[in-house]
Amino acid sequence: MAKYDVAIAGAGPGGSYAAKTAAELGLKTVFFERSRKVGEKNASGCGLGQRWWRDFPEIMEKVEKLPSYRDIHSCIFKIVDEDDNLVTTISTTKTKKDAERIMYKGIPRAMSGTSIYRCDLDPLLADLACEAGAELRTSTLVTDVMKENGRVTGLVTDKGEKIEADIVIGADGAHSIVAIKSGIRKRWRKDQITLIPQIDFKCNEQRLDDVIGPAEWVWFGPFCGAYQVNFRDGFHLGLGQWLDIWALKPADMIKRVLKIPAFQAMCRAVDAEMREYQIHMLPWMEKPGKSYADGVMLIGDAGGFPCPLEGEGVWHACFTGKYAAETAAEAISNGDPTTRTLQKYEAKWRQPPLGLEYEYGKEFVALWKNSAFNPEFMKKMVQFLGELQWLNFPSPIFDWSDDHMSSFNDHLGHVLDLLPELSEFAEKYVIPMKRGISDTNREKIANMISGSISAKLPGFIPDWPVKSIVRKKLGLK
Amino acid sequence: MDNQITKPEDFFKFKIKDFAFRVEGADPGDFITYTESKCNGCGECVLVCTVNLWSMPKDAKKAKLSSKYKDVCMECAACYAVCDKDAIDFRYPNGGAGIIIKHG
Repeated sequence: MAKYDVAIAGAGPGGSYAAKTAAELGLKTVFFERSRKVGEKNASGCGLGQRWWRDFPEIMEKVEKLPSYRDIHSCIFKIVDEDDNLVTTISTTKTKKDAERIMYKGIPRAMSGTSIYRCDLDPLLADLACEAGAELRTSTLVTDVMKENGRVTGLVTDKGEKIEADIVIGADGAHSIVAIKSGIRKRWRKDQITLIPQIDFKCNEQRLDDVIGPAEWVWFGPFCGAYQVNFRDGFHLGLGQWLDIWALKPADMIKRVLKIPAFQAMCRAVDAEMREYQIHMLPWMEKPGKSYADGVMLIGDAGGFPCPLEGEGVWHACFTGKYAAETAAEAISNGDPTTRTLQKYEAKWRQPPLGLEYEYGKEFVALWKNSAFNPEFMKKMVQFLGELQWLNFPSPIFDWSDDHMSSFNDHLGHVLDLLPELSEFAEKYVIPMKRGISDTNREKIANMISGSISAKLPGFIPDWPVKSIVRKKLGLK
Repeated sequence: MDNQITKPEDFFKFKIKDFAFRVEGADPGDFITYTESKCNGCGECVLVCTVNLWSMPKDAKKAKLSSKYKDVCMECAACYAVCDKDAIDFRYPNGGAGIIIKHG
């Protein structure tokens, strides 16, 4: 029976990064992949955000050279109403200040994330782990864990082989056999996990550059948000829904997006052809679940680590993989693989930058569930976004349906009608996040408000009482 | 590929089986275990399955698993995730068998 320091179930980004880290720390490491080759069994559109240049720059230098790489500078939201009409387009924006937030080798990197196919990214990370000395076994499904006095002591494969290890790391995704068999959890609650059907399209690369450029797209409307992740010569269209609120069959939801005339027009423009269909689960919850027990740690999707605001999880998987491997090294060197040492893993991931992801997790999930995943609300939101766009400069000028002031009043009236319902939403789901506003910004707001009040008061009234009241209201000392 | 759908207006007519790929000739093993006696007939598995592996026959009050599941399953494990009664167990096909994602 082979004996390892660390045995890892799964060779997605998290499993491979854990294997790489563990091997670099001198641990005898093995990691298992159920497909014939790494990158063949995942199911995900993958966007690596700008912070990869801050946290994993040596990986990004290699990612830039992969075949499916597309530079991503912005995200375009296509706002569509319940009758599938394109209402307006909203884009993210970046300033020079944003660009310089992340510098790498003297080059500003904060403008530029990337889309990369997992069939490119996963083998890259697995190769790095193997180069570091980890042993990869493909075509091998982990079906069970070995246990001794309640402590996990190894993995069992589909071939019945028993792999003994001081530490086991579960990197086996949303439906983690390691999590279930080691008794850390059973299935996620239905409001903690989403199901995501996804279609891959092949496109003409030149046309994709011309029509889409360095951007991700999102189709957003009462039917729910669908992401369009754009790669070098193709794109993914996918959408997710929590398991407690599926009203339609998953495939029917995505077919709704395929019927949108503006989507079809875009497809004609880039010569899109359907190429592949896949469906996978993604944990999407307020904060991760229990992430360790005696002899075992869970990383990435297996531990419920994806971002509570947008569901991206590769960055989180790599960080948790790194932390789990470091904790494993510590546990092995002090000869204590029990929860006493492994609780340090949770202490590690609760630190910034990863821990900050979950500080507003409750608010982020509530915000989503009550907006994008509520069709009735989205109908109003789409109208509101359309009207806001109308009130921008071009529409009042180029609307010749009536005299200009009459049409302006018509739209202004509609916005004013919509506001009360939207402000009720803001009160419930946006305002609770105000505790996230920094003290520096609170100071600026307090000075602005108290300054403007003081200016309107007679001169004999001193500034300090006004300032003191405003500061108190804003939670400042 | 002769199953290409190239006209955008025909996209929504796509058949999942034409766009899913799996290893041929490998034995996936019994990766879904269904215990009919535990089923309470809630029908959530029927709703959630993209490839219609689960059905609810009109007279029966129990879900039925397709005999062809090993050839058709997309391996999302959603049927396990929605079954509160533990009637469905899911463990993925054997290593090297089952679904292939070419452009994941």
